[in-house]
Amino acid sequence: MKFIMNTGRTVRQGKHIESKLGKAYGDETGTCYMHPMDMLALGVEANEKVKAFTEVGEVVLMAATDEGLPEGMIFIPYGRHCNAILSPTTHSTGMPDYKDTVVEIVPTDERRKSAAELMEEMGGVPYAEN
Amino acid sequence: MQKIEDMVCTFCGCLCDDVTLTVENNMIIAADNCCTVGNAKFMGKNRLKTPIRKKDGAWEKVSYEEAIDYTVETLLNADRPLMFGWSGTHGEAQCIGIHMNELIGGVIDSTTSVCHGPSILAIQEVGHPGCTLGQVKNRADLIIYWGSNPVEGHPRHMSRYTVYADGYFLENAFKERKVIVVDVRETESAKIADEFVRVKPGGDYAVLSALRAIVRGKGDVVPESVAGVSREQLFRVADLCTSCKFGALFFGLGLTMVKGKYKNVSNAIELVDELNRHTKFTLTPMRGHWNVYGSNEVFTWMTGYPYAVDFCRGVAFYNPGETSAIDILARKECDACLVVASDPGAHFPRACVEHLKDIPTIVIDPFQSLTTPVADLQIPVGVTGIDAEGAAYRMDGIPLKVNKVLHSDYPGDAEILSRIYERMMEVKGQ
Amino acid sequence: MSELLIKNGYVIDPINNIHGEVMDIAVRDGKIVESVGSGAEIIDAHGMLTLPGGIDSHTHICGTKVNFGRYMSPEDMRAGRTTRIGDMHATSGYSVPTTYGNSYRYARMGYTTLLEGAMAPMEARHTHEEFQYTPLQDCMANTLFDGNWQALQAIHDNDIKRLAGIIAWYLTASRGFSVKLTNPGGTEAWGFGHDATCIHKRIEHFNVSPREIITGMIEANEMLNLPHSVHLHCNNLGKPGNYLCTLDTYNSIPDLNDKRQSLYSTHVQYHSYGGTSWHDFCSKAEDIARSVNAKPHIVIDTGQVMFGKTTTMTADGPMEFNLYRLYHNKWSNHDVELETGSGVIPVLYRRKNLVNAIMWAIGLELALLIDSPWQCILATDNPNGAPFVKYPEVMALLMSSTYRDAEFATVDPVTESRVSLPALDREFDWEEIAIVTRGAQARALGLVDHGKGHLAPGADADIAIYPIDVSSTDPSKEYETIINGFATTDYTIKMGHVVSRKGSCSVDHSNRTFWVRPRVSDNYDMGRDPAFIDSFNKYYSIRMANYPVQEEYVKRHICIETETSL
Repeated sequence: MKFIMNTGRTVRQGKHIESKLGKAYGDETGTCYMHPMDMLALGVEANEKVKAFTEVGEVVLMAATDEGLPEGMIFIPYGRHCNAILSPTTHSTGMPDYKDTVVEIVPTDERRKSAAELMEEMGGVPYAEN
Repeated sequence: MQKIEDMVCTFCGCLCDDVTLTVENNMIIAADNCCTVGNAKFMGKNRLKTPIRKKDGAWEKVSYEEAIDYTVETLLNADRPLMFGWSGTHGEAQCIGIHMNELIGGVIDSTTSVCHGPSILAIQEVGHPGCTLGQVKNRADLIIYWGSNPVEGHPRHMSRYTVYADGYFLENAFKERKVIVVDVRETESAKIADEFVRVKPGGDYAVLSALRAIVRGKGDVVPESVAGVSREQLFRVADLCTSCKFGALFFGLGLTMVKGKYKNVSNAIELVDELNRHTKFTLTPMRGHWNVYGSNEVFTWMTGYPYAVDFCRGVAFYNPGETSAIDILARKECDACLVVASDPGAHFPRACVEHLKDIPTIVIDPFQSLTTPVADLQIPVGVTGIDAEGAAYRMDGIPLKVNKVLHSDYPGDAEILSRIYERMMEVKGQ
Repeated sequence: MSELLIKNGYVIDPINNIHGEVMDIAVRDGKIVESVGSGAEIIDAHGMLTLPGGIDSHTHICGTKVNFGRYMSPEDMRAGRTTRIGDMHATSGYSVPTTYGNSYRYARMGYTTLLEGAMAPMEARHTHEEFQYTPLQDCMANTLFDGNWQALQAIHDNDIKRLAGIIAWYLTASRGFSVKLTNPGGTEAWGFGHDATCIHKRIEHFNVSPREIITGMIEANEMLNLPHSVHLHCNNLGKPGNYLCTLDTYNSIPDLNDKRQSLYSTHVQYHSYGGTSWHDFCSKAEDIARSVNAKPHIVIDTGQVMFGKTTTMTADGPMEFNLYRLYHNKWSNHDVELETGSGVIPVLYRRKNLVNAIMWAIGLELALLIDSPWQCILATDNPNGAPFVKYPEVMALLMSSTYRDAEFATVDPVTESRVSLPALDREFDWEEIAIVTRGAQARALGLVDHGKGHLAPGADADIAIYPIDVSSTDPSKEYETIINGFATTDYTIKMGHVVSRKGSCSVDHSNRTFWVRPRVSDNYDMGRDPAFIDSFNKYYSIRMANYPVQEEYVKRHICIETETSL
């Protein structure tokens, strides 16, 4: 199913902003909030996983319910997960489409990666001591 | 144990300056008056202890001297260096960054370009009818949050400056004030609004145009529904706007990060211009990082432009969309990057982060972030507001000095940057 | 110890009655001295006009609204760009240059001291930060009190001593220099979108009239023995027929100080308008000049308009909104809680626009009709009337009626029926130019005793050496020579250092901030006043403890402490 991906700040994301390699931050930024009707249509429940695709990549997220969202829109808190599938196109404004990207969502059984794993996937090397 | 009052919180653009910190044995053990996020910031742990450098795919500790040498060499050897970040540090450090960038002929950009950059483009097109936040607190009887969710992004904004704040000209501020929230989703902020206007995604521009038409007395052109908003509600909102004594519109990334970008903001500004022919109305962007507005102020008085400044031809050149960080990284144009007090690793699209990994990237930041894994060097510094201090500008332009409360051996951003700059001047024989 | 000897300059120093003498000036460690040793560095100023460093007593160069002018105007930034070269940093901007741009371009013209015309005390830290990056001039700031709630309350209560205590606290906290009133009462009314349109009519809520604010402030200003007088931007700026309000204001001004004026009335061109609308708009410079000539206790600056693009910026928020409704250009506004307002709008003054041409003429008429140059200072209210780089052209216009006639021939021909300029044949001499560009400023600001605006031993060694040979130049005819000569000094010397040599500037770290601290007794120290503190923390959006500007934002500074009767 096609959705508009909206990303933004949340208190939980902000709280863990200085330990982004930690579990709490990754749990929050790896969440895909959806309208219950959309979840029903997709056949997923809260705490089940979905995979989001765009032309630039894919990422596995944990589904969660948000009745405040309109149908057809998902919300992902700022962080590595949403940016893994965001195009760098800015239409010559300097600003990517952080709140206005079309994504394809399907249910999945694949494992959700942590933020650190997503970095490693790109060839990054986290520093172990902290 | 010591209680220190009136400290400034360095999390968001609210720059709350009424925090009480309890300090014991050179540690903060409590932060009062803060929101959850500010509290987490003051109580933060896990600081990076020494500079670290990646060699052959593994991190090793290095001295500050070695870290500075590496930084100087890398930046001076680069053909097209990018210096990005700046919103999470104090003004003095930003000034040195500008001088450094001028010296090496690089591009300097702040997180503005991925936040309210489009708002600035709009202001450069149509101006900005604004005011300080205390003006809103004391006078406003109508508050609008448009594409902004202060409950999550600026948790104390409503209690300090708007909905719940006591005001001089309002007998019972909370009762007398009307609150309108406009958003595509029903956020926590929307739940407390007197009027929640739910706009279909991508429909903000049309709704703003409809309101402008009504305010100008051309309501007859407005159809039954505009981007999911009923004609009736549009008229009700327009009436609230024209009949208030002082209206304040706050807007967020819900306008800047969707299609239309700066044009949405221009339209909001022109609505406010129009409303000023009827009553008093102001508009304020909800700036995110605590000192992102300071970066715009400093960049402007030093270079003439608020962000995305390219010195490669000696003069300051500004063209967001070309000279902004995302575009330069996406074009794989820069060949070295200095990241100061921000985390593009977390917030930039994948292609940009991949390029950061492919070029020498140096991070100056107190904490390991998601940029660390793709960087080659990180230099830890003090946290402004905890063990470093300097100037900051609130979202409305109010300048504050952020004091420190703890002593530490960490250098501040300004100190590290000036050491780098001085070394560069030496190498260049200036 | 560093010594410098400027030899054989043609010196005019009006404050010390040196009316044009070939003489030497000796400098030691940044000050003028009687003589120096034989090892002193020599500057040969033979055949060159040598004056005290220029002073701008009303300019907008640093702070929130100035920076907003830059921020909103990339088109202006593009219009004046230079690269980093030698000691000079890159600059941008034409009408609102970057801080380095301001500093280098003023230095090039021989200006060494600048007064920022309007600083909201709540945003003072910003002004002081920009002063730090204006490296070649000493700076100071007018501090805005026009809509200050605490002050309005004290005026309402007719408690002038308390008012003086309030001013003392704010000046000290903001490290300000002087009391500025911009559209008194009007900026507070603008908080709800209104304005103050008559000096006798009380504004809502605070129930005080602009006249009461002005006279109360003058009385308090003198109680505090401040170096400068109240600095007033009158009500009704830019409105046809406003000259009556200006005259009415002048008639209300008491004469309370025998050393200097009791009122500095700024950019008076904008306040000398006749007519009832833009259709019958005309000059009333003669009426204003007559009033000033009869009142030695008033000093004005002209606020000269010059043709071309510029940016208007003022604390007068309602005026900028009116301008926006005329121009429909981009409009910025920034009200400052409990204190004042501000606005910014880019404008273009056109020769062929009748109103603009009349404005241009009025500025010149004021300068030519006010008898004493000590009472009429040259300024463009930079950048409102024109960017300060136009000063040399203004000087040439004052020195040459031929030049004025040539310029007048290019403006809208109807102008002639609305102004008296073509009938004025006065031409300024060199000394009068020296007075209206430095001497009068130093006196009006009360800075003569602090070493500004003159060249007697003990004064600051701020000196401008212009490549103008007075003996062989007829300013009336050779106005191009005047323009070029005043545009770029051969040497600009600041505190004994050459900071600009033929337009090329060098690094100098001697710039200082002048500010004032009136000494008041504990009874009038608002920092100890429970009502003041309570009201402060209740209505401002920052804590009182975080308000005062800290020492580090005025790194090098001169604090002028005054004795008061409080």
